Amino acid sequence: MLTLTRRSLGALALAAGLAAGGAAPARAQAAGDIVLGGSIPMTGVFAFAGIGIHAGISDYVKIVNDAGGVHGRKLRYVYEDTAYKVDASVAAFNKIAAQEKPNLYYGDSTAFSKTINPELERLGSAIMAGASFATELNDPAKFPLQFMAGPDYTEMFGILLRYIANEKPNAKVAFVHSDTEFGRDPIATSARRAGELGLKVVETIVTPPGSVDVSTEVLKLRRAAPDYTIFHGYVLAPIPEFITQARQMGIASRWMGTFWSMDNSMVQQMGEMADGFMGVMPYRYYYDDEGQAPMLAKIRQMRPDYQSTAYMQGFLTAMLMTEAVKRTLDGGQELTGKNLKAALNTIRDFDTGGIIGVPISIPGNSIPVGRIYRADVQKKLMVPASDWITLE
Amino acid sequence: MTFDWLLLAEVSLAGLGTGGLYALTALAFVIIYKATRVVNLAIGEILMLGAYAFFGFTATLALPWWAAALGALAVAGVFGAVTERLVIRPMLGESPIAVFMVTVGLGSILVGLVEILWTADPRRLPEFMPATPVFIGEAFLAPKIAYGFLVAAAVITVFMVLFRTWRGGVALRATAGDRAAAYSVGINVPGVFSLAWVIACVVAAGAGILVGAIGGISSTMGVFGLSVLVVVIVGGLDSVPGALVGGLLIGLIEALAGFYLGGEYKLLATFSLLVAVLMVRPYGLFGTREIERL
Repeated sequence: MLTLTRRSLGALALAAGLAAGGAAPARAQAAGDIVLGGSIPMTGVFAFAGIGIHAGISDYVKIVNDAGGVHGRKLRYVYEDTAYKVDASVAAFNKIAAQEKPNLYYGDSTAFSKTINPELERLGSAIMAGASFATELNDPAKFPLQFMAGPDYTEMFGILLRYIANEKPNAKVAFVHSDTEFGRDPIATSARRAGELGLKVVETIVTPPGSVDVSTEVLKLRRAAPDYTIFHGYVLAPIPEFITQARQMGIASRWMGTFWSMDNSMVQQMGEMADGFMGVMPYRYYYDDEGQAPMLAKIRQMRPDYQSTAYMQGFLTAMLMTEAVKRTLDGGQELTGKNLKAALNTIRDFDTGGIIGVPISIPGNSIPVGRIYRADVQKKLMVPASDWITLE
Repeated sequence: MTFDWLLLAEVSLAGLGTGGLYALTALAFVIIYKATRVVNLAIGEILMLGAYAFFGFTATLALPWWAAALGALAVAGVFGAVTERLVIRPMLGESPIAVFMVTVGLGSILVGLVEILWTADPRRLPEFMPATPVFIGEAFLAPKIAYGFLVAAAVITVFMVLFRTWRGGVALRATAGDRAAAYSVGINVPGVFSLAWVIACVVAAGAGILVGAIGGISSTMGVFGLSVLVVVIVGGLDSVPGALVGGLLIGLIEALAGFYLGGEYKLLATFSLLVAVLMVRPYGLFGTREIERL
């Protein structure tokens, strides 16, 4: 009979570990796969987005591989859960970078994108995008190997402000934002932009993170009496309570949000209060079947249930990364970060299969396109309120 | 320009309204500390548990709000009893830091549990409070804040009466005063510990339903407990009046600082107050003067 002593068990474990550790790099090299790595927040405060992003990336990778890959090479998506913690994201990056040699990487936060940037440049073998639309990242000189699959937060405000200026010239606008890096991002630059468009920013309200009651903030808003109020830096709370109290006080503002507060399932949680809530969205919604949108049709076929806007973000990010790989290989070039980014920047009037309603170009680190959507509480859907707006 | 006194009144009322919720949660914290000397850092997460249990009963099981509220309070009560018996009581006699860390772990477990059961998506509680604006004189007060404050005030009043008159309340006070003496006069001290945890968890769950009704619920709403920690340190860890005064004071200061200085000064103002109070009265405004070696 075989008896396992503690020592032999240890030896066995060591042997198994060596075998596993030795096998992984060999597999990556032999297959010639193109690896898309990811620090993905599958748990923690950002999990609602992370789960959608993960599904979107996975689905696009599957579509590419089912069609034979890129130049015959399979895409392989390797991710780790980060719980939306920067140290965990960095650890995941280091692990995946060492074991899998990714050419593409998805990061989960602004802080991570900034932290990892020097390492990304040092490695020089990959381009990166992620869940952050931070204005700061939209700088090809400082972040030459990164991009974002949509407008940055200042551009989102720019799109909203341009819509407002068209609808109601000289309108009074208020900004309400969370006291976080995310919340503060577009505020100063957008105040200037509003002035250029002839709009007047009558109040800027800051809410501390995690604050529950917004009564005092609503009182401030009543005093300012804006025509439009733009929320930024939130997902859901405290927007519903803010609108509820403001309506009770008789404040006649229109209410607007930016990308992360615009998912249909989140907005509809506001119930009646969502009526007329508007915001900027760079992607079309899952259920949008207007016109030609083969990719949306494909997504609905793969997943019969509603998919969030975070899903669309992950899906489009994977699509653009794949396009960069394809263009680099088409040019007979090596898959380095620099070549991939240069290939990405050659994207002009690109058809996303309907994920974005107009052809897109990526001259720098962002795609400055979006559309205003409005909540229709009867239909329980976000519906278009404007045409597509492209910033120059 | 003349000073707008009506606006000041409205801001102050809003602050006191929120302060009522702070006081209620602080009460839950103080009950446990007073009876068992356990600094329960999981109070915010217990509050979250109450809010999610309410959400589960209303949204998933479609119970009327009052039945859901009773259900959520019952869940929290059972949770308190079980936690005290299985987790906290075996830790009796261990160093206070060890027990303190156990409550930190308890908080993490509750967050994990909620994320498993309901995911980490932020959610809204169904509307169950009247939506007609409340006017005190000419001053506007958001209805949820007003009713939340009334409920908090009622619960605190009932508790204070029970604390002084009911046998269980007196036993709790006796145990808090001198554990050995309480034993010697035949008070069931472990029973009192259980009772304290049950009451505190029920109170915290009630506060959770109110807080959730105003600000929505998410697995991170336990951070509300951190604001409450400031309240109990300012008021005194073992003082029920301290929890009340501290709650209202912090609510008021947050509102005034938020309105007249800006939202970014809210936390600065409350933590400045905390530092000031600790420098003058390290045991809080109403706390018992003793030296705790943590």
